[in-house]
Amino acid sequence: MVSSFCWSCLTRLPTASPRPMLPPTLTAQRVAAFHTSSPLLALPPKKKAPGQQSGPKHRASTTFKMKKRKVTDRVRPPAIGERKALRKRIVLSNPNALEVADMQDISADNMVDSRLRGSILGLPVPMLDQLRAVQAFKPKQGWSIFRRPGTVTRRESLELGRLIDGISDKPEDKGKVVKRIVTGARGSGKTVHLLQAMSMAFTKEWVVVTVPECQDLVLANTSYAPLSDENPNVYVQNQATAALLSRTVTANQKVLSKLKVSREHPALKSPLKRDTTLEALANLGIQDPATAWPIFQALWTELTATSPAPGFEKDFASRPPMLVTVDGLAHWMKETKYRTAKYELIHAHDLVFVQHFLSLLKPGENQQSALPNGGVLLYATSASNNPGVYSLDVALKRVAARQNRVDPSSPDYPMPTAFSNPDERVLAAFDSPKSSIPTEGTLELQTIAGVSREEARGFMEYFARSGLLRQQVSEEWVNEKWTLAGGGVIGELEKLGRRLTVPAQV
Amino acid sequence: MPPRLNLFTARAVPAFCQPSTAAARRSIATILNANRPSTSNGVKSGLSASAQMTKRWNSSGSDGKDKPEGFKGPTEDPLPHVSEEAAEVSKIMDKRCDGVASSPELEQGTPISEILQRDKNAQKHAPKVMQDQMKNQSGKRSFSTSARRMQPEVEGSANSDDASANFDDASANFDDASAALVADMVAQVNQQAAELHPGLKFEAPSKPLGKTDNFRSRYDGLLEQLTKQLMRHGKLSKAYKDMSFILDHLRTSPPPNRNPRRPLLPGPPNAQLPLNPILYLTLIIDSVAPLVKLRQQKGIAGGGASVQIPVPLALRQRRRTAIRWIIDASDKRRDSNFAMRVAQELVSVAEGRSGAWDRREMVHKLGVAGRSNLGYLTNRR
Repeated sequence: MVSSFCWSCLTRLPTASPRPMLPPTLTAQRVAAFHTSSPLLALPPKKKAPGQQSGPKHRASTTFKMKKRKVTDRVRPPAIGERKALRKRIVLSNPNALEVADMQDISADNMVDSRLRGSILGLPVPMLDQLRAVQAFKPKQGWSIFRRPGTVTRRESLELGRLIDGISDKPEDKGKVVKRIVTGARGSGKTVHLLQAMSMAFTKEWVVVTVPECQDLVLANTSYAPLSDENPNVYVQNQATAALLSRTVTANQKVLSKLKVSREHPALKSPLKRDTTLEALANLGIQDPATAWPIFQALWTELTATSPAPGFEKDFASRPPMLVTVDGLAHWMKETKYRTAKYELIHAHDLVFVQHFLSLLKPGENQQSALPNGGVLLYATSASNNPGVYSLDVALKRVAARQNRVDPSSPDYPMPTAFSNPDERVLAAFDSPKSSIPTEGTLELQTIAGVSREEARGFMEYFARSGLLRQQVSEEWVNEKWTLAGGGVIGELEKLGRRLTVPAQV
Repeated sequence: MPPRLNLFTARAVPAFCQPSTAAARRSIATILNANRPSTSNGVKSGLSASAQMTKRWNSSGSDGKDKPEGFKGPTEDPLPHVSEEAAEVSKIMDKRCDGVASSPELEQGTPISEILQRDKNAQKHAPKVMQDQMKNQSGKRSFSTSARRMQPEVEGSANSDDASANFDDASANFDDASAALVADMVAQVNQQAAELHPGLKFEAPSKPLGKTDNFRSRYDGLLEQLTKQLMRHGKLSKAYKDMSFILDHLRTSPPPNRNPRRPLLPGPPNAQLPLNPILYLTLIIDSVAPLVKLRQQKGIAGGGASVQIPVPLALRQRRRTAIRWIIDASDKRRDSNFAMRVAQELVSVAEGRSGAWDRREMVHKLGVAGRSNLGYLTNRR
């Protein structure tokens, strides 16, 4: 049978029935007229596989992507003061470190023992609270990797120990005042020297008054006000004074609670009771910072009293010697961030707090030494975060020259260079003449250099015996480190000691 | 008088005891230079040698050993010394072959000055230097040929005999003492030199040198690698600070409570880990480091599908992956300090809590599953 389809165009041939010649599909489907095949008869288009459908075409770029918007949950910022507390946190113990077996604590006996030179003397645990109260520790001094805090007994500390021991116990040194400015290179141990002085003073039950950071008083972080209407150019910092009282009371609570007031204090608004202890007196200033400065003055008068006023003889006990330390002295030698009412910068020497501590460097008034009951003044400069004050440099050179008995009229006496415009108040602050009182020493300059090789060896052995240094501490090795540390600068030695250079032996 | 050099006796023994066969090797050609010596039986006379040669020549070279040895140059076989010749003669006359000279003169040689003294003819033909020397025998030279003794000058020692005697004694004592001293010093220096290695001023370093003895690679390799990966924005010294913070954190944080499901590699007990922070860190990172990575490879299975092929990693690559995971995981922590975040994450890895462990387990699982795909790699070829 003959097929009814045309072989060439696959259309149905006209049958016998009368039909139009053109196939109706051509017009019904809107396609090009020259197309001869029927789209109707084509197979339906295949669906693409789902995986290929979404993917990029061949050779198309695959790199572009719409960024997803990150959904970040907003983290609450840390609470006020939290980050500062973390920054200033002082860790004094590492329980992982080994206990050094025969480490002695500092005591009245061994602080003068020259046989212990180069060894590490630990700070007794009960004293740590006192030392923390006077802010003797600084955050980056590396206390945190040892089992408990300890300091190297070096030549300077032994000499200081003998000094403190003499003032406390020896009758010929009673009432002696030593005034020192401690300088030295960065990391040479000035602040730790002050710390050692404090620890010795606490063992001898002295009264310790400290200014741990001079910069805090001049940064305009604490409140200030003119002292009074009579002298409007002098400013008082009540909060800072209250903080000072707080430090002093917390650290010296044992001593101050035994001492009672010895005279009337008319400057205070409310009269004191006769049996008020000095601790209670200071607490008044802490509770009400507005009265902190008069209270501090009253407390200072009581601590420097040599005899009671009439009527107060009953409860009078002799006052102990005092240790006054100030750290970062250069900040007090320039203009502060505080402003006067005329919006001029206030010089640090116009702050009554600063005035008080700088006046101690001068010989005392009223036929008394600056510390009539004896004591030590240690004012340290700082080498890190240190403002450059030219006048202070000259003033310290002058102190050193006077110490070497250079006459101020001689040409060798250091003078500021011409046109350098030195700050006369700074020069005058350190220009203290010799006191008329024999027990009161003149101002000295003590430069702290690197430790000796033996002391460096003791320090390095302390690292090794704490389990922190996994190396044999030999003479040669110590000498190498001593040299690397700039001739035994102890801060650098500490860095070298904690540095890990020995590979792990698995 | 110059010392008598005994050059002769040293050479005497081998010269005298030569076997006679050596003479047979003398060539015909040696006759051509008739003055040349030949060592026949030790007799060295030009005349006798030539006579002997003639005789041999006439006897037509009986044993065939008279092969020519080749032409000899004029300096190759020089005339022997006069005294040598005399010694040989005396040797023959005395019939001794043990090398002992018959006369002391032969043993010690004759000084040329003596020969010149007795021989006028020789004097006349002596070299000009010697003639000059003989003419002006003043005994003075412009230079000194004797070494001066080290001895102290003693004043007035020449004046009296006693003093000179004392001086002699003293100088003898001094010589002994100083000799002993010098000997001591020499011995000491020799001992020191023996203790040290030769040519070194200071003690030699013990070998082999430690891995961290060179200052360029003074830190452990893992520390360097971790430090470099901690670095952000090219600030390497910041990264070093962060690294020392991390090590201090490992030192001071309490020992980890280990998770038995996710154990660290074997090492010292927990309590000892913080005191050896480098070992602690190494254990942490090596424990969480993956053994393989997964490579997506297209086309090997056919049909364009990609399959995952596990590829083994080298140690440094493994550590690098682990460090990256740890740093990634630490980004989720809340602490604002980067070093603190990483340090806490490291401790949490040691305690088996970190997300890095999950990633390691996932990679290992896929890697085990992908082992079957390794067949494609081998079949392809």
